Amino acid sequence: MKLLKAIIRPNKVDEVKDALARLHISGMTVTEVRGHGKQKGHTAIYRGKEYNVSLLPKMQIEVVVTNTIADEAIRAIVEAARTGEIGDGRVFVLPVEQAYRIRTGEQDI
Amino acid sequence: MYGSPVTADLDGARRAIGRDILAGDGGLSALRRFTEEIDRELQRLHAAATPASIPAAVIALGGYGRYHLCPHSDIDLLVLFGGGVGAAEERFLRDLLHPLWDAGFVVGHQVRESGEIETPEIDNPEFLLALADARLIAGDAALYRGLREATDVPRTRAIVIDALQRLLEERHARFSGTFYQLEPDVKEAPGGLRDVAAARTMAEASDPTLLRRNSDAPRLAKAEDFLLKLRALLHLARRRNDNVLGHELQEQIAEQLAYPGPSARHRVESLMADYFSHARAVARALERVQRTAPAPLGVNIGRTRDGVRFIDDVAAARQPQSWLSVFQAALDADTGVADETLDGIRRETESAAFADLLPGAGHRAALLALLRPQRGLYARLSDMHDCGLLGRLIPPFQSITCRVVRDFYHKYTVDEHTLQTIRNLERLVVTPDAHPRFSTLLQEVDAPELLVLALLLHDVGKWRDDDHALESVRMAEGFLALLPLTETARDTVLFLIRHHLRMSQVAFRRDTEDPEIVREFASLVGSEDRLKLLCLMTLADVEAVSPDTLTRWKEELLWRVYVDTYNCLTRQYADDLIERTETAAAGCVARRPADLEAAEVAAFLEGLPRRYLQLFDRRAVYEHVRLARDIHPDEVHLRLTRMESVWELTAVTLDKPMLFANVCGVLSSFGMDILRGHAMTSPNGLVLDIFQFADAERFLALNPGASDAVLHAIEDVVAGRSTAADRLRGRLSGLRRRPAARVAPVVRIDGDASKKYTVLEIVALDEIGLLYRISRGISEQGCEIDLVLIATEGHTAIDVFHLTRRGAKLTPAEQQGLTAFLEQMLEDTA
Repeated sequence: MKLLKAIIRPNKVDEVKDALARLHISGMTVTEVRGHGKQKGHTAIYRGKEYNVSLLPKMQIEVVVTNTIADEAIRAIVEAARTGEIGDGRVFVLPVEQAYRIRTGEQDI
Repeated sequence: MYGSPVTADLDGARRAIGRDILAGDGGLSALRRFTEEIDRELQRLHAAATPASIPAAVIALGGYGRYHLCPHSDIDLLVLFGGGVGAAEERFLRDLLHPLWDAGFVVGHQVRESGEIETPEIDNPEFLLALADARLIAGDAALYRGLREATDVPRTRAIVIDALQRLLEERHARFSGTFYQLEPDVKEAPGGLRDVAAARTMAEASDPTLLRRNSDAPRLAKAEDFLLKLRALLHLARRRNDNVLGHELQEQIAEQLAYPGPSARHRVESLMADYFSHARAVARALERVQRTAPAPLGVNIGRTRDGVRFIDDVAAARQPQSWLSVFQAALDADTGVADETLDGIRRETESAAFADLLPGAGHRAALLALLRPQRGLYARLSDMHDCGLLGRLIPPFQSITCRVVRDFYHKYTVDEHTLQTIRNLERLVVTPDAHPRFSTLLQEVDAPELLVLALLLHDVGKWRDDDHALESVRMAEGFLALLPLTETARDTVLFLIRHHLRMSQVAFRRDTEDPEIVREFASLVGSEDRLKLLCLMTLADVEAVSPDTLTRWKEELLWRVYVDTYNCLTRQYADDLIERTETAAAGCVARRPADLEAAEVAAFLEGLPRRYLQLFDRRAVYEHVRLARDIHPDEVHLRLTRMESVWELTAVTLDKPMLFANVCGVLSSFGMDILRGHAMTSPNGLVLDIFQFADAERFLALNPGASDAVLHAIEDVVAGRSTAADRLRGRLSGLRRRPAARVAPVVRIDGDASKKYTVLEIVALDEIGLLYRISRGISEQGCEIDLVLIATEGHTAIDVFHLTRRGAKLTPAEQQGLTAFLEQMLEDTA
């Protein structure tokens, strides 16, 4: 099992969700986050004054998938979230060692 | 000499009071007879006096006004004249007062001219208090009525009550606050005659029914009668105005009043027991009045510890047009509305129609005024909703009462969600530090009540399940037509309702880094004012969905869309020009009034920034077209109009060097402070400048012909017959400067924002002449000013210029040179 952690543009959440749904992946966690990668923010100007926007608003989608569809899910995320401009985001892939259902205590991985 | 019974035999008249009282007459009736004799004496003296040259009224004040003159009481008089006091009036006063003094009366007199009473003497509360018992004795009844009308108003009554409370406290402190005095002063001591008058005055000034609601009134009347008897006998015994019931007189008076008892000691005890019983009744009645008297806030409206309420609920029930005012009074007093008043409105509101509640334009304007965001607005609107009034005042709101719409986001019924949006706006006012950027925006909005109105109506269409924004607009249109709103204001409210979801969609669901998305949104919004309103509406709306919906993350996204759109509106609008064939222009041409030709409207519009059609309604556009008719070089066509608190100058002319600076300079030379405005130049050289300015010294309002003087001065400057520099020479330094916190000037040049222009943005401390200095400096540097946006937010001027030099954008070196020049200039003048 893999944990896919995707940092994407806020306006791309629906498209990524739809793309994952087409792979029958429906469980996910979506979080509002702020940060920067290579994009490193930019300088905004309001009424003549500059202010540095170093942390940009992004969305983080976390989804756990089986190893067999991990690559397909990663491709779906990348394609749905891409604009081709700096700031499109990243997908991190982490191995999942174990998982438990809290309600039953049952280990399902 | 005067032959009247009183002045001829004052002692006899005084002794008659004692005889009457001891014969079993009541104190009140005996003193009334004595007082009426004094009245008649004054009326005789008034008739015999050398007439004043102007109307005069002789008015009794205080105890004399109440018919409570005791044998040696002072006679307190007000002589009121209908104009200035001259020699004839002084003679009249001598003829009136000298005989009284000669006869041995102590007269406390005050003289006022009618002009002096137009404004109540709030710094003289004792006088206002004495006026509470004013009574006309002789002379001009109209003058007396004028006095009553000027002083018997809620504000004065509130001052009287405050003064009374203070005087009571001071007086009671002199007696250690107890009426159990062994040698009581029957006038001054707690429970004495002054307290009787205080209880009556306080009730009369706040709620006349207060004393009638329990047994206080008859007990107070009995106590007053008893105390007046004592006071009259004390005056006769001491032969002076001494009101202390000392030990030595207690025996004598107990005997005079035939108190029973085997010995003098027993008779005194009976007298004093009687005294304490009456004093206790007075003290209790006064205490109750002090505790419950509403402070007058308006007609039939007072403030109690339970909140603001109608003083006479029965009268209020018959006057539904007064119901709104109790909520406004509560907002003004920063408190709630009393439960009993809310209950009363709840009982009556079902039968009240909109036209009963808000019958006239004034009442409807009062509704708009109430909607200004301020502390308590959410609570008061909730009260109004709870008692059924809000849905009657704003009929579309009725449709969403307790309306449940099930979705994944909303936590409240539609009506409560709507009210919470207003609570969120209120919080921006009350706790500006929570969302400082948005609080500042709200402060900059000219008519925030329009925003609240839009919020109240934005979801009324949710009574149906389809597109609620369109349905809300449909429902709002009919209601807004009933309110005294300008066409522009009405359009703004409808725009906000129609597009209330748009900004959150752009901020949270669209790629705002795409300039085209922002440009499209800016095009929809059209002006900075609407952008601010929509941004605030979005913030308030999102925050009212649930306690967790508005995160810092969303707030940041919203703010960025605001800033990007603001910059787009102020810096990029010059590239977006009106084309002859486009719909908005065609609509303007098609609906033109009969006196305008289609071709001249089309020619006027073509090439102006498209923003122009969003800033001005059609009526304004047609006025501008008329002004542009038959314009020739060196001519300017002007229109000066007064708006609510500012003046607006519209100038149409043909472009020439230094034009903008010269017009600004002329306005500054008259001391006008330019606050907002637009300057636009069309490709064929037609210039349209609109300035809104403040005339703090009221030069235009106070001087006949001042408007013409300003207009002629502008015509002279445009024609080249004089220059603004000539008019201003030596004057700018003498002009009024606005005292304010220092604002560090900012000069920023952007060569990329517009395809055709270099955009210069200047933020500096606003002061008279600033715009002239900047624009003259720009022109002196060889730049042409084609478009200008002028704004003032608080003490800060925010001006955006679109410039060219020799018909092209400025080179980097020219940009650098202009920036340095302007920075130096602003530093030197700051």
